[in-house]
Amino acid sequence: MMEVLTGVISGVVSGTGMGGGTILILILSVFMGIDQHIAQATNLIFFVPTSITAIITTIKDKLIDWKIGIPVAISGIIGAIVGAKISVNMDVEHLKKYFGYFLILITIYEIYSLIKLYKKDSKRNNNVNYNLERRF
Amino acid sequence: MKNMIKKILLGIVAGLISGLFAAGGGMIVVPILTHVFKMDEAKARATCIFAILPMVITSGFFYYSNNFIDWQTGVKCALGGIIGGFLGAKLLKIASNKVLKITFIIFLAYVSIKLII
Repeated sequence: MMEVLTGVISGVVSGTGMGGGTILILILSVFMGIDQHIAQATNLIFFVPTSITAIITTIKDKLIDWKIGIPVAISGIIGAIVGAKISVNMDVEHLKKYFGYFLILITIYEIYSLIKLYKKDSKRNNNVNYNLERRF
Repeated sequence: MKNMIKKILLGIVAGLISGLFAAGGGMIVVPILTHVFKMDEAKARATCIFAILPMVITSGFFYYSNNFIDWQTGVKCALGGIIGGFLGAKLLKIASNKVLKITFIIFLAYVSIKLII
């Protein structure tokens, strides 16, 4: 049951575009004590069906930029081979630590983007006020 | 040419992350697509998912051949994920993106420190 709940939470987060997979891995490994490698592999299973559905809808909506997507995908396969080979041979404790460092970088970026979001909003509010003043 | 190098570099870095951690590739690709390639958010997300899928399948092969796949957990999570996808779309209409973002940041900060210590 906990697994299903974990899936629900990750699904919700995925919808916001903020790394549902990361949440899935973290809940499984940090809170449920599942081995880091298995938690990571679970996310791979989780990702495939959801992303295929998403790709089909986005192809219909013409949202995919093929000129960028295809070269990124192809070079990504090479990166993934190297990354996965390193990962499966790494011991769990090290892998967890590196994942932690990576997440700190992501946290810093998310804080930055949040600040930007606030700035944009206050600017928009100022514009609205300005327009109102002009009208009256 | 210069642009091509950027695309290839982006792919390699995202692939490395996807292979290493099986997550987080998208958290690199989307910001790069919006900031460096000046794509709008919806296009960047769509292109990102398309580009990440082959990386995930490739890494999945390595995790599979090392017996790291637990189908029971995987299927249960995927089931929850489908429900979560629907709920998420509804929740986004009620709660603001900012509230979700702040929750996400607090959670990430807490867990990443826990992982390192």
